[in-house]
Amino acid sequence: MADVDAARRELEEALGTTEVLSDPLALTLYARDAAMVEGGCALVAFPHTVEDVVACMQVAARHALPVVPRGSGTGLAGGATPIGDALVVVTSKMDRILEVRPEDRLAWVEPGVLNLDLANAVAPLGFTYAPDPSSQQTCSIGGNVNTNAGGPHCLAYGVTSSHVLAVDVVLPDGTVERFGSEAPEAPGYDLRGILIGSEGTLGIVVGACVRLTPEPPAVRTMLLDFSAVKDCAATVSSIIAGGVVPAAVEMMDHGIIVAAESFAHAGYPTDAAAVLLVEVDGLPEAVEAQSRAVENAARDHGVRTIRVAADDAERALLWKGRKSAFGAVAQIAPHYHLHDCVVPRSKLVDVLAGVYEIAGRHDIIVTNVFHAGDGNLHPLLSFDRRIPGTLERVLSASEQIVRLCVNNGGSLSGEHGIGLEKRDFMPLMFSEVDLGAQACVRAAFDPEGRMNPHKVLPAGARCGDFAMARGTDAAQAAQSIPEGSWI
Amino acid sequence: MAGFGEGVEPPLGAVMPEGTRFIGPVGLAANWRPGDAPSDDDLATCVACGLCLPHCPTYRLTGEESASPRGRIAAMRAVADGRANVDATFARFMDLCLECRACEDVCPSHVPFGRMMERARVQIEPLRTRRARFVRWLGLSVVLRRRWVLSLGRRLTPLARPFLRKRVRTLVPGGGPGRRVARTTEPEGPAKGTVALVTGCVQDQWYRPANRATVRVLARNGWRVIAPRHQVCCGALQAHNGRLSTARKLARRNLAAFRDADWVVVAAAGCGAHVKEYGDLLGGEEATAFSARVRDLMEFLDEQGVERPGHGPAGEGPIRVAYHDACHALRAQRIKEQPRAVLRLIPGVEIAEVPDGDRCCGAAGLYNVLEPDMSDRLMEQKAASIASTEATIVASANPGCTMQIAAGLRNAGRRLEVLHPVELLDRAYAAADARADDR
Repeated sequence: MADVDAARRELEEALGTTEVLSDPLALTLYARDAAMVEGGCALVAFPHTVEDVVACMQVAARHALPVVPRGSGTGLAGGATPIGDALVVVTSKMDRILEVRPEDRLAWVEPGVLNLDLANAVAPLGFTYAPDPSSQQTCSIGGNVNTNAGGPHCLAYGVTSSHVLAVDVVLPDGTVERFGSEAPEAPGYDLRGILIGSEGTLGIVVGACVRLTPEPPAVRTMLLDFSAVKDCAATVSSIIAGGVVPAAVEMMDHGIIVAAESFAHAGYPTDAAAVLLVEVDGLPEAVEAQSRAVENAARDHGVRTIRVAADDAERALLWKGRKSAFGAVAQIAPHYHLHDCVVPRSKLVDVLAGVYEIAGRHDIIVTNVFHAGDGNLHPLLSFDRRIPGTLERVLSASEQIVRLCVNNGGSLSGEHGIGLEKRDFMPLMFSEVDLGAQACVRAAFDPEGRMNPHKVLPAGARCGDFAMARGTDAAQAAQSIPEGSWI
Repeated sequence: MAGFGEGVEPPLGAVMPEGTRFIGPVGLAANWRPGDAPSDDDLATCVACGLCLPHCPTYRLTGEESASPRGRIAAMRAVADGRANVDATFARFMDLCLECRACEDVCPSHVPFGRMMERARVQIEPLRTRRARFVRWLGLSVVLRRRWVLSLGRRLTPLARPFLRKRVRTLVPGGGPGRRVARTTEPEGPAKGTVALVTGCVQDQWYRPANRATVRVLARNGWRVIAPRHQVCCGALQAHNGRLSTARKLARRNLAAFRDADWVVVAAAGCGAHVKEYGDLLGGEEATAFSARVRDLMEFLDEQGVERPGHGPAGEGPIRVAYHDACHALRAQRIKEQPRAVLRLIPGVEIAEVPDGDRCCGAAGLYNVLEPDMSDRLMEQKAASIASTEATIVASANPGCTMQIAAGLRNAGRRLEVLHPVELLDRAYAAADARADDR
């Protein structure tokens, strides 16, 4: 049993009493993120500096407390859900933009800087930070790094991994390491790449060097509206098959259109079966040519109307609806569950039909709002947990949807991460040996298994499995790990 | 874990580690005290997406969930689910809320946060010390409810000034209020209709010139203006501070007082937002119909149209006006463009947008007295933002904000005049008339 009281006293000494929470009600507020699973924790700490984070790690190591890093708590897979005696380290107060170097097209930021605040801060210089998750107004760069977050504009620009040059990380033993460098290509293994998307299981990100992207000279945003979901989905493949990769291709189906319109008043066609929100950017001539190609592809699939945003205000409005769609679903029912599976674009039509069929069979309302351009689905299952038996139907439907995606050549997560909610699905994609190898990577950073335990890898994944399968010295090494430690 | 019955293999993703559970009620009775409390249906509307966080002024300053709308709702839900009690910690979380309702404005699921917070405040009222309860009772249930006591209070202020707490002293403006507005003011020509003016308590005692300007401007634009003498305090401050039953009593009396008007116009944003919600507060057809007739003054002027003044309020040169959005206009009533449109009609007026203009100034009713630290930080931010616009006048349509901003600017050593926007319009009419007389 960890000595939580001693840990609290030491943390209070290092960080100050106001920066450590231990009141039960205060702890409740950190028991979950935006996903559906709630846990609990023993302590919450708010570091302001790298030294504070080091102190947190040292205290946790001394008292064998699990550590759960948390940014803004907008995660959708339970990645920041603490369990048991955890110390939750919240980076929201480390929110300074340390350095902006337009000539090098990079910026150094602390983990608590909000994604949209960064984009807004560099906008006057003609730059943006390209990954733009729908929660960008709230989510933090630290969280983005840990989930390898995506966003509508990642279709053309790439996800977080393509926009983070280096990360500073405090490892579980309290040492501070930099992975990656300001230089475009670092020699040796890409350890930076391992850190990005590691969901807080390897260390705490305390700084990031992010790439700045110049604002495109011209942008055009279009809303294409269809009377059948399959036509809408087929248009996506056609656009890209035609050689155009728009900056963003987002799809929303009827249920989402209605909910989002009621909040955003963007003038979405509430009688449409589905809409595509397409954005093309680049030099004016290219934008012109790309828009024509998009329009032609849409016409081939019977588009009803094509609305082109006349100005920045209209463009912002069209995006406002899309980016608030998740938050708007409580209008349908108080709870939602979703897995952000990715499928090949060419399978979108079939998989979507399957999603509706599965939801219908389980008598669950499903709405779809997703990054269609890269086949990244977000089937939102809306339900009221208070009605007995509903949760069970939702979980059954969820499992079938994930299997459907994987069977169609898809992947478990496009951007939310695996967290707690999807960890048991990992064997659908990875063999025991694969998972063992991943556990070995994890153990290399966190030999005591205290960083965000129970996340990402399923309960059974062991580094030893990998070593055994390889039949090498590592097998013996793995077996010499002290009893009781978690790998 | 979810219940899948015996012998049934649970689906993948249904089995969670020990110490976790799927969110939802745990089968315990709610720990609310008797009286008004946030309803389960209201609490169920929040999916905890967190999109409100960056818009919450107290979250922005603290970075802590407990000072965010999502965290406050989570705390209410913990009490509703029987997992926590209405205790001092809970009260602290609720007290730090400004009730600026920025969160409500940006919530894609229309979470009625203001309503929930008003009810949560009722819950924490019994926890206060006897002294705190006495002071609140005195202020909210005695002084504000009785115009003569309030008026007496205002008259005594110059004498009492040296004895007042410093922060109250900086906030309360000096000077007498001048004449009350007339019971009835007829327009020059035929009347377009009858407008009843909610004169307000603080507004009428400390900013009566704004009320007089309101009457002149409405009459000039063809409206008969009545100021019913038996109207009472609107009840907003009571509702925001855990006294919903008092607020309901006041609302019922006002329903009767304003029965005869075509329109009920409110020049103070905080009062306006609350009066528009009488329907919600009291329920029933009469209250709902009443709320539908209520307009914010600037909203009303924009909707009905006003005469364009032939002259600017101050000489020929342009004047730069920083328009301050009161939260209870911008957020609670979604009024943004209307006052700007009216101000733009005035020759020479140039509107300066205040950076982060949608962030609360920290006045928030009684908040600037009850939560001085947080309020001061917001006041300093606001004063600096306004000063950065290089405006010479601040237009503010809420007396609480006006006091707070004036104090903030004074503390920062800035000399800007803080006026109600209607006073600018009134001054422009007066300037135009004076010029016509000269000719």
